Amino acid sequence: MTTAAVFRSATAAPRAVTRATGESRVVRWLLISIALVFLALVLLLPLVLVFNQAFAKGLPAYWDAIVQPDALSAAKLTLLTAAIAVPANLLFGVAAAWCVTKFEFRGKSVLITLIDLPFAVSPVISGMIFVLLFGAQGWLGDWLFEHDIRIIFAVPGIVLATTFVTAPFVARELIPLMQEQGSEEEEAAIVLGASGWQTFFRVTLPNIKWGLLYGLILCNARAMGEFGAVSVVSGHIRGETNTLPLHVEILYNEYAFAASFAVASVLTLLALVTLALKTLVEKRMAS
Amino acid sequence: MSIEVRNLRKAFGTFVALDDVNLDVPGGELVALLGPSGSGKTTLLRIIAGLEPADQGLIRFEGEDTTDRPVRERQVGFVFQHYALFRHMSVFENIAFGLRVRPRPVRPSDEEIRDTVMGLLRLVQLEALGQRRPSELSGGQRQRVALARALAVKPKVLLLDEPFGALDAKVRKELRRWLRRLHEEVHVTSVFVTHDQEEALEVSDRVVIMNEGRVEQSGTPEEVYERPATPFVYGFLGDVNLFHGRIDRGRVKVGASELDAPEWAEARDQAGVAYVRTYDVELTPSSSGRSSIETIVRHIRAFGPVIRLELDRVEDGGSVEAHLPRAQYDKLGLVKGQRVFVSPTSVRVFAGPADGSAARIA
Amino acid sequence: MRHNSRTVLPGFGLSLGITCTYLSLLVLIPLATVFTKTAELSGPAFWATVTDPRVVASYRVTFGASFVAALVNTVFGLLVAWVLVRYRFPGRRLVDAMVDLPFALPTAVAGIALTTLYVPNGWVGGYLEPLGIQVSYTWIGITVALIFIGLPFVVRTVQPVLDDLEVEVEEAAASLGARRWQTFTRVVFPTVAPALLTGFAMAFARAIGEYGSVVFISGNMPMKTEIVPLLIITKLEQYDYAGATAVALVMLVVSFLLLLTINLLQWVARRRLAV
Repeated sequence: MTTAAVFRSATAAPRAVTRATGESRVVRWLLISIALVFLALVLLLPLVLVFNQAFAKGLPAYWDAIVQPDALSAAKLTLLTAAIAVPANLLFGVAAAWCVTKFEFRGKSVLITLIDLPFAVSPVISGMIFVLLFGAQGWLGDWLFEHDIRIIFAVPGIVLATTFVTAPFVARELIPLMQEQGSEEEEAAIVLGASGWQTFFRVTLPNIKWGLLYGLILCNARAMGEFGAVSVVSGHIRGETNTLPLHVEILYNEYAFAASFAVASVLTLLALVTLALKTLVEKRMAS
Repeated sequence: MSIEVRNLRKAFGTFVALDDVNLDVPGGELVALLGPSGSGKTTLLRIIAGLEPADQGLIRFEGEDTTDRPVRERQVGFVFQHYALFRHMSVFENIAFGLRVRPRPVRPSDEEIRDTVMGLLRLVQLEALGQRRPSELSGGQRQRVALARALAVKPKVLLLDEPFGALDAKVRKELRRWLRRLHEEVHVTSVFVTHDQEEALEVSDRVVIMNEGRVEQSGTPEEVYERPATPFVYGFLGDVNLFHGRIDRGRVKVGASELDAPEWAEARDQAGVAYVRTYDVELTPSSSGRSSIETIVRHIRAFGPVIRLELDRVEDGGSVEAHLPRAQYDKLGLVKGQRVFVSPTSVRVFAGPADGSAARIA
Repeated sequence: MRHNSRTVLPGFGLSLGITCTYLSLLVLIPLATVFTKTAELSGPAFWATVTDPRVVASYRVTFGASFVAALVNTVFGLLVAWVLVRYRFPGRRLVDAMVDLPFALPTAVAGIALTTLYVPNGWVGGYLEPLGIQVSYTWIGITVALIFIGLPFVVRTVQPVLDDLEVEVEEAAASLGARRWQTFTRVVFPTVAPALLTGFAMAFARAIGEYGSVVFISGNMPMKTEIVPLLIITKLEQYDYAGATAVALVMLVVSFLLLLTINLLQWVARRRLAV
């Protein structure tokens, strides 16, 4: 599914409505009100609630929940996961976009569909396939056991599942962009004697940098926030295989609501920063 | 149906699009609103249609005030520059739209709608294409569908915004003639906007020339072309040479030459500009009197029935363009670099330094 | 594989190599396990697993709630897109940016927040309780979570189409005598309909796989509020791998069909709106 493609908001200003095509003031006011009430109920209220609950027991309790060793190790694992998954998908996304947009070959449309595939798979199934592959009963289970390599219920499994789930983000963003830009500039560079890498770094990259950044922002947000897939492969071992979203779940299930929302508020802040960055980059891309 | 426009004003923010515009369109005429971009012609058309409210002023259809009537009750047909066809509907449905959205009591039956639409498709010569989508038509075909759609509601007034603007030159010419014939056939009061003088002069009964939100002149194509009322009109219609000089007692002094300007007999040494059409000049190898201007041939474009010459005035290096019939050119036997004298045969003089927008020196 | 040698650009082998290797190792081989694992089941055993009453009940919950949520999102998504594109009001840009919140907010956070809002003593649940409406731990709660998750899909699919809609087309309709409502139903709506349908399908597809935001609010009662993804996890935790993959296979097939439908819809929309 083209999540990344629809993700972008339209930044164009609303056009001036002339008398011939505008709604009456009352209708306009009514429609705006209904839309805003709906959005407040669906989007704003949960957001406000997160911070309200996070500080329900006061600032010290909030701070304690965040600097608690388990929370810190969960944060570390979340950062580590993103630090591996995002660059891996950056490399993949650039390579995929390059071969798809600069060359014609048979099976290209199949390849584009495959790139999108992880978006169509339920997060739970995305986690499950790695259990089937590396778990105790999996294809490679016996071999891994003999060599004492742990992937499932361990960090590698979490990284793999996260990488799978976030794989299409960068490619999805770059493919339409590079298709639109065509290959003329690159061809000109080659004709002028540039090497392939020079062409990429001096001609292609400057043209796609905002799209690339956009893809990375989305990829990173999802990598840090992924829950379903990671939940299946993690084993929920505190201090070892817990990411921040999993830590939120554990605290919540232990009825440590304030602590749970405190950790959740950190993730929410991250989401808000993501939205802000995204909006900024969109503005850049529009200009 | 006649259209009267009285004291119309419209501003977009600080930009004044229409500044006290008055206009009369007699019933049944085909009128061209001609002007450069930004002259307010499209705004005027949209206000007549009711697509845009005016800040001040009146619009009357057949003497009846329609200023505050919403567009859908005005019974105008509007043809948009980019056609604005409904992309999800077939050609047939596009044309039928205006009939189908009528309130039930006055809505024609399906059969009547079919007959009307088929008749219009014949009129615009697209009988076979009724089931096509707009995306499957050429530009000229889309234009004709847009016209048929506007005519389907039997408008009292037909308004066309740059009707040929988006077409290539050849199709433009064809459609121009076709529109003229169509107008003779349906005879509905029509106003079209254009920035192409040739188009306006060739197609319309009457041309309204607009500039900077004002009507400069209104009249038949002959009137506006032969007797331009303002320097702007002079410069806008046809190629013209400008000679800056001083007006004094019925003469204009341009450098060492003097041109006759009998209508300025009372003037005493004031700034003026003489306008001379590029074909209103005589070229002679030697000076033929006070009105001769000495020039050097800079460039000759010697193809077709009319030879175009670019000349440099010896006095100040200013440029003069002259269009000569081939026979006359052959007789003169001009070559590049040669000295030649230019004598205007018809001069129109306006006071004051020519304003920048009119200075379209040929 | 060979590419058409019309271009002088290098890097075909390298980029295609990276892409194919990466996709194979990360996506294709792992996904293949679903098929091989399911193949361990005999035909009748597979059928028994995927038509088990508890499994069928979970299909009903997942597809039913997803459908209702996608429907609600279609209506309100169109409204939100319309308001954002057509009207100016204070805070419009902020609201526009906020629409993407469900994409950016980790699903677990959304899950606990929505649950806390809709429990009987919660901010919203408190008002609904006296009316006899129980949201959390019922299918309504599941639907609420799925509405949250799916909203941006509809808004972001419809918004650009509304944005591209030429005002002239609406003016043309008005000049031909159409009322505002007629212009909307006959001109605007048919133009955005393919995008709206695409948005619906995307929201639906996302909803049927959703886990994090639903699992807290659903109550997870077998036969009643148990969604398919949770059932898969339950089976995995009971080491019923073959059972889990059988159900997963059903979901994968549905997802692929939806993906095909969405691509087809987008293709139709592009064809239809081409000029």
